[in-house]
Amino acid sequence: MSYFLRKIGFYAIALWAALTLNFAIPRMLPGNPVDILLAKLQQRGGAVSPETRKAYALLLGGDDSRPLWTQYWDYLGNMFRGDLGVSVSYYPAPVSEVISQSIPWTVVLVGLSTIIAAVLGVALGAFVGWKPGTWLDSLIPATTLLAAVPYFWLALLLTYLLARVLGWFPMQGGYDVVLTPGWNWEFIASAIQYGFLPALTIVLASIGGWLLGMRNMMVSTLSEDYILTAEAKGLTPRKILRSYASRNAVLPSVAGFALSLGFVVTGSVITEQVFSYPGIGNRLLGAVQNNDYALMQGVFLFITLAVLGANLVVDLLYGVIDPRTRARN
Amino acid sequence: MSLQLRRRSAAALLAGAAALGMLATGCSSGGSGGSGDPSTLIAYTGQAGDYQINFNPFSPTRIGALGTIYESLFFYNKAEVTEPVPLLGTEQAWNEDGTELSVTLREGVEWSDGEAFTADDVAFTFGMIKANPAINNGGFDGEVVAVDDTHVTFTFAAPAFVKGPDFMSTPIVPEHLWKDVNPAEDVNEEPVGTGAYLLDDFKPQAFTYKANPDYWGGEPAVKQIRFLALSGNQAGADAIAAGTIDWQTGPIPDVQNTNENFPNYNAYTQWQNQMVLSTCSSAEQGCEGPQTDPAVRRALYYAMDRTQLNSLAFMDTASEMSPTFALTPSQDEYVGASVTEPKVPMEPNLTEAASILEGAGWAKGDDGIYAKDGERLSLTVEVVTGWTDYITAVDTIASQAKEAGIEVKAAQSSWNEWTEKKGSGTFQLAIDSLWQGPAPDPYYVYNYFFTTGVPVGETAGNNYSRYANPVVDDAIAQLALLSPDDPARQAQFDAIHTEIVRDMPFIPILTGGTTSVWNTAKFTGWPSDDDLYAFPAVWSAWDAAEIFKHLEPAS
Repeated sequence: MSYFLRKIGFYAIALWAALTLNFAIPRMLPGNPVDILLAKLQQRGGAVSPETRKAYALLLGGDDSRPLWTQYWDYLGNMFRGDLGVSVSYYPAPVSEVISQSIPWTVVLVGLSTIIAAVLGVALGAFVGWKPGTWLDSLIPATTLLAAVPYFWLALLLTYLLARVLGWFPMQGGYDVVLTPGWNWEFIASAIQYGFLPALTIVLASIGGWLLGMRNMMVSTLSEDYILTAEAKGLTPRKILRSYASRNAVLPSVAGFALSLGFVVTGSVITEQVFSYPGIGNRLLGAVQNNDYALMQGVFLFITLAVLGANLVVDLLYGVIDPRTRARN
Repeated sequence: MSLQLRRRSAAALLAGAAALGMLATGCSSGGSGGSGDPSTLIAYTGQAGDYQINFNPFSPTRIGALGTIYESLFFYNKAEVTEPVPLLGTEQAWNEDGTELSVTLREGVEWSDGEAFTADDVAFTFGMIKANPAINNGGFDGEVVAVDDTHVTFTFAAPAFVKGPDFMSTPIVPEHLWKDVNPAEDVNEEPVGTGAYLLDDFKPQAFTYKANPDYWGGEPAVKQIRFLALSGNQAGADAIAAGTIDWQTGPIPDVQNTNENFPNYNAYTQWQNQMVLSTCSSAEQGCEGPQTDPAVRRALYYAMDRTQLNSLAFMDTASEMSPTFALTPSQDEYVGASVTEPKVPMEPNLTEAASILEGAGWAKGDDGIYAKDGERLSLTVEVVTGWTDYITAVDTIASQAKEAGIEVKAAQSSWNEWTEKKGSGTFQLAIDSLWQGPAPDPYYVYNYFFTTGVPVGETAGNNYSRYANPVVDDAIAQLALLSPDDPARQAQFDAIHTEIVRDMPFIPILTGGTTSVWNTAKFTGWPSDDDLYAFPAVWSAWDAAEIFKHLEPAS
């Protein structure tokens, strides 16, 4: 039991440290939101006079003269109450509303693609590792090549081929904007059609890592004594592959999978840029460009929670998944 | 303006995206103009990322409604020096000393919920703005009285001729719906206006307007307008290539040949943002560096080869500029005969640059760079990372300036950091562009950028060059007291021109082009050289609203 308490204590401290950094880092950014907002207005052809500047500084409360310490305490308090503040770049919308509008898109698209890539990669890796030295090994350089190509370049190439030349998929967006988002088949079908290409690029770009990791673990597992024992007992190769080799080889991939789920939120920035996909990555980029502290903090908080949460779950579940850890405890 | 929107777009993707854009351009053929329904116009304003609903016309984060839903009293066409176009107002007249403005309102106008529009709505709107400093972005400080249903009178304590255009282009809102809301924080999800369009539906990826059948000017021919959210201007260019949008403002690859590459589209460029090397100019205000010497600024002005700059950095979309900062050619009438060089020289003049520098006591060192009192003539230009045309421009200027014995270095930083440096005065030169005021009158540029600035260390507003010249201040103050038609204004403009052409706190480069790409196969009536009824930029809300009303489906 003390094992779990220790773990949870450790994560509480990690959370506090992350929250504090989260508070400090945006405030070290140069510039202030009012200047950025005015610069944006001016670029859109607005006449920015001295009076405009005064009005928007008043509106957005440009100068927060409270001491940093007080701001910090208020910030921590608000975080625990779940109050993320008001976004400056989408004023007066609250941060939680901005985030909740975007996060489902990211979670579904990047989450699903991550799961697909991991499952496919691990399955293929187990198979390739099972028969090292055959032609199947050529899958490794092929997929790692895809992983090594800069992601945005791969995405642009696929967009060009599949969307522009062949016209199979739409190039941009999350759904046909004529439809109304909701739980109806027409909309979901459109969302799937629009999401397929971004998902495909994510899967292609990340499958190599899973495949390589699993294959190498398979090769080393196959030389273990218990595999030899299993063979000596006369078990079928299929049984050995599934219950003996794969089950042991997959453990590091499970840990890696939980971690990569934690990074779903961050991993989406480039995908969403290339495909104009609605999601949290676009919002984060916009928040940074606009010095929108509250929105940045909100998005970072989600990322922190996702990563810490995924780690905690892995830590706690590892004992359950891996009998050897259990035995040692 | 547009340039900067474009520049910012997905900087990280630029290299790859540009190449892909070329491929896309190369292979397009006379395919589909197929953005759906023939009377639906699909526009992309450069919005990066999803929309958050906000149709409050006074909010800086609004996504629409200006011009299309909420109308102002008059429309000012900044593309040409013309009379304001009557919208909700039909006539305006100042009294002699500029303290009282009488406006006659249009009769028979209704809000889209059926209530009648009256003078009380106008008086209410301005009263509300005055009572809420956070939305008073035109600095309204007068009184508005509804004389009868169709006449209002604005009174001011001091002459307010030059503020008129700001107030006349203020969106008017209905009193019966706005009297109970907080105008600074309401997002106005169901806008009710007098304009030619009504809000049809809103989604984070797009919102749609539909034609107002009861519009006072007659139902517009374009029945629906849809605004898309894409990730940036590169995505916009891709959408043009795919034929999924009808209008975007921002360049596409090979823009000169738009019509050959995409037969349904045409590109049209107008020039408004005057590109400059801003300098931290005033040593008295605390600026440091060689650029505080006007001779250095003038020498740099003559060292530039603007023809080369235009082709290398701006795809030949920029146009000439006047060192007086009156837009050329549309505001040429403001430039008096006293200005000996009304346009910037397009070719470098190294002899002139050398004689200016030597006249100010600079001497050429062994390394070919001028120096004075042991200080080398070396300048750093701040430029924003990812604004590729400005980065190319600075690199080009650097090699041109070297010929003239001036060392120019580029320093790239993020937009936020760049803005911060300009605001606090910790820069030598920064490449940037100056924007225009609410009406086609160079007064606004002078007022925004050339009135005495704050010292280094304090946050500057518009005049971040910190230029301080009492003669200019005085002339600007005089202009504010004169009616826009008063011939006495010219003497004040002449005084300003003499000073700023000599001092050059902002070193003129060229006037940057704003390029719109629009679907001419689907709609007719776009602005042209013959009929430039609005500034052609989809992100410029008032202008875009005028354009929407002028368009007609081609089929």
